Amino acid sequence: MRTFFRLLGFLRPYRAGVLWSLGLASLAIAGTVAIPWLTGRAIDRIEAGDRGGLELVALAIAGAGLARLALTVARRLIAGRVSLGVEFDLRNRMYAHLQSLELGFFDGQQTGQLMSRATVDLQAVRFFLGYGLVFLLQSFLTLAIGAAAMLILEPGLAAIALSPVPFVVLIGWRYGRRNRPALQEVQQRIAELTATAEENVSGIRVVKAFARERHQVARFRHSVTRVFDQAMVSTRLRAFYNPFIGFLPSLGLAAILFFGGRRVIDGTLTLGEFAAFYAYLLMLISPMRSLGIFLGMAQRAVASGARVFQILDRAPAMTSPPGAPPLPPGDGHVELRGVTMTYPGAAEPSLHDVSLDVAAGTTLALVGGTASGKTTLVSLIPRLYDVDSGAVLVDGADVSRVDMASLRHSVALVTDDPFLFSASVHENISYARPDATRAEVRDAARRAQAAEFVDALPEGYDTLIGERGLTLSGGQRQRLAIARAILADPRILILDDATSSVDASTEQEIKSALREVMAGRTTFIVAHRLSTISLADEIAVLEGGRLIARGTHDELQDRSDLYREIVEKGLPDQVFLTEKPVEAEVAGL
Amino acid sequence: MSRGAAIREDILRRLRGTSGRGRKLRGLIELLRPYRWRVAAMFVALVLGTAAALAPAPLAKLAIDDGIVAGDLATLNWVVVAFVASALVLWAASALQTYLVGWVGQRALQDLRIRIFEHLQTLSIGFYSRKRAGVLVSRMTNDVQALDQLVSDGVVTLFQASLTLLGTIAILIVLDAELALLTFLIVPVVLLASLAFRIASADAYRITREKIAWITSYLQETLSGVRVVRAFGQERRHLDRFSDLNEDNRQANMKTVYLNAAYFPAIELMSALATVGILLYGGHQAIDGDVTVGVLVAFVAALNNFFDPIQQLSQLYTTYQSGMAALDKIFELLDESPELVDKPGALELGRLRGEVRFDGVSFCYRAGVGDADPVWALRDVSIEVPPGQTVALVGATGAGKSTLAKLVARFYDPTSGSVSVDGHDLRDVRAESLRSQLGVVPQEGFLFSGSVRDNIAFGRPEATDEEVADAARAVGAHEFVQALPEGYDTEVGERGSHLSAGQRQLIAFARALIADPRILVLDEATSNVDVHTESRIEEGLRRLLAGRTAIVIAHRLSTIRRAGQIVVLEHGRVAERGTHDELLAARGAYWRLHRDWAEQAVA
Repeated sequence: MRTFFRLLGFLRPYRAGVLWSLGLASLAIAGTVAIPWLTGRAIDRIEAGDRGGLELVALAIAGAGLARLALTVARRLIAGRVSLGVEFDLRNRMYAHLQSLELGFFDGQQTGQLMSRATVDLQAVRFFLGYGLVFLLQSFLTLAIGAAAMLILEPGLAAIALSPVPFVVLIGWRYGRRNRPALQEVQQRIAELTATAEENVSGIRVVKAFARERHQVARFRHSVTRVFDQAMVSTRLRAFYNPFIGFLPSLGLAAILFFGGRRVIDGTLTLGEFAAFYAYLLMLISPMRSLGIFLGMAQRAVASGARVFQILDRAPAMTSPPGAPPLPPGDGHVELRGVTMTYPGAAEPSLHDVSLDVAAGTTLALVGGTASGKTTLVSLIPRLYDVDSGAVLVDGADVSRVDMASLRHSVALVTDDPFLFSASVHENISYARPDATRAEVRDAARRAQAAEFVDALPEGYDTLIGERGLTLSGGQRQRLAIARAILADPRILILDDATSSVDASTEQEIKSALREVMAGRTTFIVAHRLSTISLADEIAVLEGGRLIARGTHDELQDRSDLYREIVEKGLPDQVFLTEKPVEAEVAGL
Repeated sequence: MSRGAAIREDILRRLRGTSGRGRKLRGLIELLRPYRWRVAAMFVALVLGTAAALAPAPLAKLAIDDGIVAGDLATLNWVVVAFVASALVLWAASALQTYLVGWVGQRALQDLRIRIFEHLQTLSIGFYSRKRAGVLVSRMTNDVQALDQLVSDGVVTLFQASLTLLGTIAILIVLDAELALLTFLIVPVVLLASLAFRIASADAYRITREKIAWITSYLQETLSGVRVVRAFGQERRHLDRFSDLNEDNRQANMKTVYLNAAYFPAIELMSALATVGILLYGGHQAIDGDVTVGVLVAFVAALNNFFDPIQQLSQLYTTYQSGMAALDKIFELLDESPELVDKPGALELGRLRGEVRFDGVSFCYRAGVGDADPVWALRDVSIEVPPGQTVALVGATGAGKSTLAKLVARFYDPTSGSVSVDGHDLRDVRAESLRSQLGVVPQEGFLFSGSVRDNIAFGRPEATDEEVADAARAVGAHEFVQALPEGYDTEVGERGSHLSAGQRQLIAFARALIADPRILVLDEATSNVDVHTESRIEEGLRRLLAGRTAIVIAHRLSTIRRAGQIVVLEHGRVAERGTHDELLAARGAYWRLHRDWAEQAVA
């Protein structure tokens, strides 16, 4: 119930609209109720042979119809505006909130789950707040007014005729409650089916290479059958409840014919009153059914609302302190003081008591095995994560005490599998500085060795790339990411395995680009290849989250066994490394 | 085209909504054919149900005229009995019809999904390279889903509403022909309004669907790329952009609100006006004694049944439109004919020795698309690989290494020249008999969701646990598999996401090994793994290659050194062939590549 009231809170900015549409709806209902009543009066006039009276009543019906038209049009326009406004607000608020949450939150979530909150759950909430609530009240009002009219007209007969109403509402509600989980399960199974199909299409080369097409069809058939079975569960529920809900009001109509008919013969009821009664019940059938359905909808909205609030209530764990100063000016001196860091949900810290001082403008290479803490360490500099204890300082300022945006604008990150947006090449390169000119973007591309291939793209810098555009190879994406970092003109540059997916000759070219970019900036390089490590002034060796050695190449050759092993076996072996060919977007080879 | 003609064309397009309608409808009917008896039963239930639903109005008339007004209690009782009976019939018929529609509709869609999937399996790799995976998947999911609405709700609404409309017309005529004709006067107005609504709403609804799709994909993208967003501190910009998309969506939806606000109340008004007309005209007649009051009451009651179906039918159009659009896409896919099919009488290969020959092979990916200048991926390549030899393919990106490997697996046929195995041209043999003796190890070690065991036994599902473990042991994967929480029963996750890149690679080796292929096609992984995994992979690879013909796209010097033959490709041509030592001595292309590497290694 608390969730329900919190959901109603979304309507607050639209109070006036909601009240207006409710008021208009009630008036329109009055019009709708009036028409059968007037029809009844008309029948009475006819029976009385009163032509003048008949014409008057007919005129009244036409008037009621016209009034209803005006009311309904106004109500639909106002309610539509409210509903779309609520949807707009809700979606923006959800998105803004997601953007305010720290990276650690997303590590613990599957994108699919978040998507489903932001789409499916949001949809349920906005349907209810936008339409459902008004219709619920409208159905309720229609029922109440209609029932009242009938009760005033003839209480005894009304009681009999209306007796199916509570059952219809109850059964409708029950149907909604039983069918919802069934439908959710259908959705779940369709998601499984999608995954199976997706996997087959992506892995088609493996399927074909092993001649396993028939096996895959059998597997898919199984998924399809599971969807069918579950869809039938829902179909059976519908086949049971829906006709049943339709049947009950007919009993009310039969009761009016049976009892009401007798009363007319007795002369205790006029034929007109009888006709109006009959018309009223006909009119009430649809709100009866809707009431049940909308009650179910309300329930679903509350369940979905609870999931939406789970996200909205999750306070951002990482914010700039109020009134935080921007990052002080400097040349990029970075210092880690006794830093320990544990990922949310992880049992073991990923960094243990690491202290490191990197002078401004120098380059430090970080080496070590898988999960040694290299990537974690560099993620702390732009404060993508917070430390458990210790502190990270940039130019003397604790990163958790300065304005986050100013910090991040001073740090640029290039990762091994760079993420590009579905946008033009220009927009991707100028990501950190959307106001950059064409010339600046071109220059950044040139320095990242990307200009040549970009010029060869069908529309040059305006070529759309990413999901809805052209697919680029790993090396090409990498160079665009480097260009993006160059244009950001950061104080601190972080290259996290940034040259791993380019071949030897390209790496050679990128290296010269990197040398140029690194000049005058503090640079962190996470690398496996000696060729890349050689760019650094100093090397830090990490193992199991601890800093175990630091020095120049020659010093470490003597001092660190691990470093020696890395140098000896450490993958300079991948001689003729190839980029992934463009057409091999589908599983390898 | 003149402006008027353009507008006419636009209106026609919106009315039509789709092309090749006849063919698509036939396709739909074809899907239902296996279930024709159930479909027939469904229609019987539909007709019965609709008839029963129409019964109350004439029954009410009977009750009033012959029972109440005549004061005949017995007749009244009988009518009430008939009334309840018709309600019972409606109950039973609609229960049956709901069930059957659900069954037949779902079954037909299930068949369609399987048909699309089976068809996809017959298509060549070339086809898959041209299409995006997401699009193909969406044919089996979203597009079939869009049909679901058409098949489940649409068909029923269409027939039910049409039958109701026809039945109501009949009832109105029987009740009183004159009044009925008067009522029908309003029909052209309603039809015109519905037509106008349909034309105006066709595009409006399509646009709302597009807008919401944009929002969803923007959301998806910025959530997947959240790391970049945070790292560059660009939240503000995404918020603005998202808000713009959100606003677009609101505007698009507002249009549909305007349309609905105009159409539905208008139909309600017409229904009220029709009532007025009937009461006025019929009322005077009733007073004159030409018409009974019962007829009048029944007439007004039946009017609802007259306007409702018209509204339903015009709403149906949106469903119809999106269903037809989905069918378009599905048929386009089903029309795609398999490029590589076995020739009639193709040879069933016996156990291969494993000799592979390329004879003057040229290949271009988009042959005959009208390009004046085809881009050759391979140009006049001739290579002989004796049984049991490892060939290392080296060369820069785009030199043709992976194309050459793909031709061995017959993912494509050469544009000219021939690829043969043991002297048989691949075009003359049955693909399955070739592939069952061929192992392919793709670069990223693509795994399917399922257990480790399922993945290793992928090519030979009948393999025993012992054989699976042996294969894993042979490539050095046994150790880490055993250390997994459930050993060989551990789920690898979607695309093997629960395993590391190195582990996936080893599983892919074991998968290839257990199939005991005579010929192995392998794309060495380039991903960085730590030192220990690297040496394990090297060892596994050595065991895998032993004793088989292997075509390896090589990236590791150790692999290249061990190869019996190194083929250096440059721009689709064979630049050099020979062993490591021979090629170094020749001081050619390979020597240069090696020198580049050596410089980097010591740098």
